[in-house]
Amino acid sequence: MTLTALSFTLLFVIGTMLVSIWQKLGLEKDIAIGTIRSAVQLLAVGYVLQFIFHTGHIVFILIIIFTMICVASWNAAKRGKGLPGLVWRIALAVTASEIMMMGILLGLHIVKATPQYIIPISGMTIGNAMVVSGLFINQIKQEIRRSKGEIETLLSLGATAQQAMQEVRARAVKFSMIPTIDGMKTVGLVQLPGMMTGMIIAGANPIIAVRYQILIVFSFTASAAITSMLLSVLIYRLFFTADLRLKL
Amino acid sequence: MSALFEIHNLAKHNWDNGDQASKYIFSQLSAEITEPERIALIGASGQGKSTLLRILALLDTPDEGDLLLDGASYKNTNVRLWRMGVSYVAQQAVMLPGSVEDNLRMVSKLHGLAYDSVLAAQLLKQLGLDYLDLGKQAADCSGGEKQRISLIRSLLLRPRILLLDEITASLDINSTQKVEELLMDWHLKEETLLIWVTHDLEQARRISNRTWVMGRGELQDHSSDSFFAEPVAVLAQKFIQPVKGSL
Repeated sequence: MTLTALSFTLLFVIGTMLVSIWQKLGLEKDIAIGTIRSAVQLLAVGYVLQFIFHTGHIVFILIIIFTMICVASWNAAKRGKGLPGLVWRIALAVTASEIMMMGILLGLHIVKATPQYIIPISGMTIGNAMVVSGLFINQIKQEIRRSKGEIETLLSLGATAQQAMQEVRARAVKFSMIPTIDGMKTVGLVQLPGMMTGMIIAGANPIIAVRYQILIVFSFTASAAITSMLLSVLIYRLFFTADLRLKL
Repeated sequence: MSALFEIHNLAKHNWDNGDQASKYIFSQLSAEITEPERIALIGASGQGKSTLLRILALLDTPDEGDLLLDGASYKNTNVRLWRMGVSYVAQQAVMLPGSVEDNLRMVSKLHGLAYDSVLAAQLLKQLGLDYLDLGKQAADCSGGEKQRISLIRSLLLRPRILLLDEITASLDINSTQKVEELLMDWHLKEETLLIWVTHDLEQARRISNRTWVMGRGELQDHSSDSFFAEPVAVLAQKFIQPVKGSL
């Protein structure tokens, strides 16, 4: 696709902005900023990836993955304002999930150990882990507020924080997994995933594209489960004082 | 020999009230209990009775003062061991997820102890719950059933001190009587100290040998015999009616 052809897609954006002005929705500024940001970010990433793919150096791959994990953790941690040390806990959960995923994929030679495979797959699984982390944190806060009586009843019977939070944690983990599991159930029937669509448009054999998509779906589910469960172990104590009273 | 339970200069701030004149819910609260007794805790609404019970159970924290169980400060005691010895039964009974039996088994599950099914069955019978299907979801029980299940759940912990927060408020006369009889019996057999919040002065007279009155941020300690020498109606007028300018 030429840059000229790509620039024609701006017509969609301009059309949307005109509708916004006509309907007085006040979205023009946000659409304009979003358009510029996404274009600049993606083009910059394109050049960075081109450079890394060309050099193939492990350090650059690690830097990219490290950056992805930092941004994902920082973004997900916004859901849990007031919880000290949340960012590094999310980072730890996402990193562990990434290491396990990549360990299996590379260790069993499911994908080639090249930046072309490692970076996009990492990006997708880390991105999904970020969404799952945000959902989990949001949900566990709600669950704690809703189940305050249940937690305090258990504490008053001499439960540890872990025992008092067991049900709440399980419910929050389950909730955070719903979009991933629903996506897995309906993939191909409701929506054709972005990666598969991109590969097909770029000329790949649909069967090959589907195989990679299956790989991604399984990776998504595993990374979502690992991240959510690990995060639940790492953060439940944050909701208690040192003398085992509920903070919220 | 140290007292069984001591309260030393306990104070709790009212953080919601910016008025300096009434910045304490209560302050300088002191009491000493040397042997297992039955204490009725009375006072008008909003005087901090439930807050005091929650503090005694370490579910809430005091802003000043100390609590001692067998001479050991709560500050130097494992909070879980404290709560196993000083158990709080809430006014609004909360059922844990699962069946009635799951709720009754919770204490043994939490502490890795054998479930005393004989005692559980006996307590259910004493509280008129022997008809209950133990497999029934606890959340589906009536308010009165939940209240009695929650009491049994705490009794199965065999705490040395039971903190009872208006536990008969939602019960009918018959069930209230059964709860009172059970707890009097339990107190004698198990030598459990009872601290029982109630707004019902007749109940306070029936169940207590000592009465604590909370009002205007203070705690008055009376022998129930002398306290209830006055007619209950007069006492209610004095101690249960809302205090003017109270919290």
